[in-house]
Amino acid sequence: MEPILSVQGLQKIYGGKGNRTQALRGLDFKVFPGEFVGVMGPSGSGKTTLLNCISTIDSPSAGSILVEGAELTRLKGKSLSRFRRERLGFIFQDCNLLDTLTGLENISLALTIGGAESRSVEKRAREAARLLGVEEVLDKFPYQMSGGQQQRVAAARAMVTQPALIFADEPTGALDSKSTGMLLGQLDKLNREEGATILLVTHDAFTASWCKRILFLQDGELYKELHRNGADRKTFFREILAVVSELGGESENVL
Amino acid sequence: MSCKLALRNVRRSIRDYAVYFLTLTFGVCLFYTFNSLGDQSVMRFLAQNQNSMVESIFILMGVFSAFVVVVLAGLILYANQFLMKRRKRELGTYFLLGMSAGKVSRLMIFETLLIGLGALGTGILLGALASWGLDKLTIAMFLATPGNIFSFSLSFGAVGKTVLYFGCIFLVVTLFTGVSVSQSRLIDLIRSGRTNEEIAQRPLALAVALFLLGCVSLGTAYAILLVRGLLRIDLLWFVMLGLGTLGTFLIFRSLSGFLLRLTQGHPGYYKGLNMFVLRQWSGKVHTNCAANTVISILLLLAIGVTACSVGLNDTITATVGGQTPYDLTVLNYGREGIYEEADVAELFRNIGVDPDACFSSVEGVTVYYNDPEITGMPAAGYYAAVALSDYNRLMAGRGLEGLADLEKPIRTPNAIVNGPAADGVAVVPDEMLPLLTPRRQMVNICYAGNAVQVDDMVRMALDESEDFSAGLDIMMNYKLDNYYDLMGAKILVLYMGLYLGLVFLVTAAAILALQQLSQAADNAQRYQLLSKLGAPESMRRGALVRQVALAFLLPLALGVIHAFVGMKAANEVIHVMGHVDSVHSSLLTALFLLVIYGGYFIATCMGAWRAVREGKI
Repeated sequence: MEPILSVQGLQKIYGGKGNRTQALRGLDFKVFPGEFVGVMGPSGSGKTTLLNCISTIDSPSAGSILVEGAELTRLKGKSLSRFRRERLGFIFQDCNLLDTLTGLENISLALTIGGAESRSVEKRAREAARLLGVEEVLDKFPYQMSGGQQQRVAAARAMVTQPALIFADEPTGALDSKSTGMLLGQLDKLNREEGATILLVTHDAFTASWCKRILFLQDGELYKELHRNGADRKTFFREILAVVSELGGESENVL
Repeated sequence: MSCKLALRNVRRSIRDYAVYFLTLTFGVCLFYTFNSLGDQSVMRFLAQNQNSMVESIFILMGVFSAFVVVVLAGLILYANQFLMKRRKRELGTYFLLGMSAGKVSRLMIFETLLIGLGALGTGILLGALASWGLDKLTIAMFLATPGNIFSFSLSFGAVGKTVLYFGCIFLVVTLFTGVSVSQSRLIDLIRSGRTNEEIAQRPLALAVALFLLGCVSLGTAYAILLVRGLLRIDLLWFVMLGLGTLGTFLIFRSLSGFLLRLTQGHPGYYKGLNMFVLRQWSGKVHTNCAANTVISILLLLAIGVTACSVGLNDTITATVGGQTPYDLTVLNYGREGIYEEADVAELFRNIGVDPDACFSSVEGVTVYYNDPEITGMPAAGYYAAVALSDYNRLMAGRGLEGLADLEKPIRTPNAIVNGPAADGVAVVPDEMLPLLTPRRQMVNICYAGNAVQVDDMVRMALDESEDFSAGLDIMMNYKLDNYYDLMGAKILVLYMGLYLGLVFLVTAAAILALQQLSQAADNAQRYQLLSKLGAPESMRRGALVRQVALAFLLPLALGVIHAFVGMKAANEVIHVMGHVDSVHSSLLTALFLLVIYGGYFIATCMGAWRAVREGKI
């Protein structure tokens, strides 16, 4: 099967002479259609840098990123914007929804920016809202919704354009445990039933336990890869915790 | 320590301060320019000739200046508030670091004072330049022969006045700043920028009802104005003003909900960033509707005052231009009210003015008492009659066409002498003359050579002579006097109009610019999100321009409608003095509006775009 995302030898260096920081030191991995992949790692491991590079918000210093065979690092300006709105969907930790728009309008926005046929917009937006179980808040403004509802509306917006890849950057970072469970359950459903490919970045083991495969990053390099292989969530959660403490232990050794 | 920090703050946040500084400088500059009119060489020159207009110019300037100061004070307070809002976080940091409220207040007062002094200095300097330019322009426009020294100078009176008035404004602003700093709560300062206006769907019925109510009260105000005219100032006049303001306010308040609901059903709503732009606008409309009301009223004043002053200016030119066909008219009222003809050329020769050398033509004419029973012309409108042959002789002297045979008396088509004496004269057939009594002798004189020099010489000779008139009751009407009067009136009307119009217009535009720029910072996050969602730069910029355009155009639209109705009422008043060329004045006003308002619009778009791109101003 062709990978949907393929990252090869990805490097990112911040700063110039004297104060160079190498955030990514040659990263290789692939994501196949229908996968639900988690990226974990402690602060400073390069998670956010990686996501920024793949989501075209930042550009890498070296290496290549292929999405459906298209080389991202060569895209510029208009075609970059176009790629972003047509092939990618985003869910961020905060500042997710426009506070001036209702839930329905927030979801529709992803379509109208893409120049979708205006008559079909509302119907498609409602369909996406149904999939994520946020139909009851469609006419509300973000400040009238709970944090979990906001994130699910954001998820609906991310998938309404039927992107090749959905990026979720710490989507549960600001949520309580109940909302976290609900959001992840919906994402999992989206992955299972709609076949959406999701790349989720988190530092939280519980959140990561919903994924099917987890990449652990440390100091800008791939430290370990963990497959769920049909295990239940609890078992997987323990496996993840083991790797996380291993990671913590290593950094203690460094000290 | 505070002083040093204040200095460094000002230098570092120069961009934050730019808007505030420019507003201040502009106010000072305009205020100085118009208040230094008294020391302008043109005015001094006019005052030399005992021009009555100069006095009124100064009195009116004083009255309007007080009014203008109030408007500018409001603007400066608004700008200061804008600045404080931008710096809330910074203030919060000072408090967090353990600075006392008093110290932070002092710091802010230092900063405000620094900016104030800078703006005052720059404003006066620019004002002096503008005043000099205005002086030059006035000379070019009104004076055929530039006189002696027209040099660059600083008007100390105006400087004093400017410093006094603006000193007071700065004091108020400083006090305001100090109080608002010492009363602010740390949590509000730190969390600023996260508070948003609560947006809720309001029932459509309410919006429609409010909108209709607004239209009705505005319509009533218009009706009162048009029926009763502009200048009947009594209780009902204030009711009209109140209704007009209320109507404007209600329309602005309800318009967004109304328009939003109307467009939501339209497929265009879900197209590109239309939805976003409309929501951006309607989300802020409740905060902005009071400001919008003020802006549209300021625009009404700006448009109205400018158009009226330009129109009136044209009217004056047209009226007075035809009234002084001769360099000098000598009016001989006779001896003790009894008609007695005099040889005016000889009288001039007696005081040392050689009529052959100085005058190119001397033409006398006798006017008769208008006896309605003989001439058939009403006594109320016609005080005198002139013979057809005399009239035709005068017209021929000026190269104008005379009248053919008359069946019955008519009003003189052209003025026969200088000044008001030319009004109310009927031309009668020569046959009627024997039946009428002579009333007055009028002698029209044209100068030979340089008119200004001859005029000076004639006046000097008349001043020095003991007895020019030989006991006769004689009056002079000089063309140059009329000309200076006209010039004074034109300057009065035009400068007053431009001064007030400019102040109103720029104040309105500045409020809008500040409003949009202060919102741009909040918008930065939203636009960044749009970028992440894949909206290309051109799309985002288009949305921003449309957003600013909505903010600028709506108050303008209502202001223009107001002005249209107001001008109709004002024309009735001006009409008494003569016809107003509405096309000309409207065009000029539109140009004026386009340049200044348009300039502010473009500048605001650019500033807001920069703010959105960088996430700060």
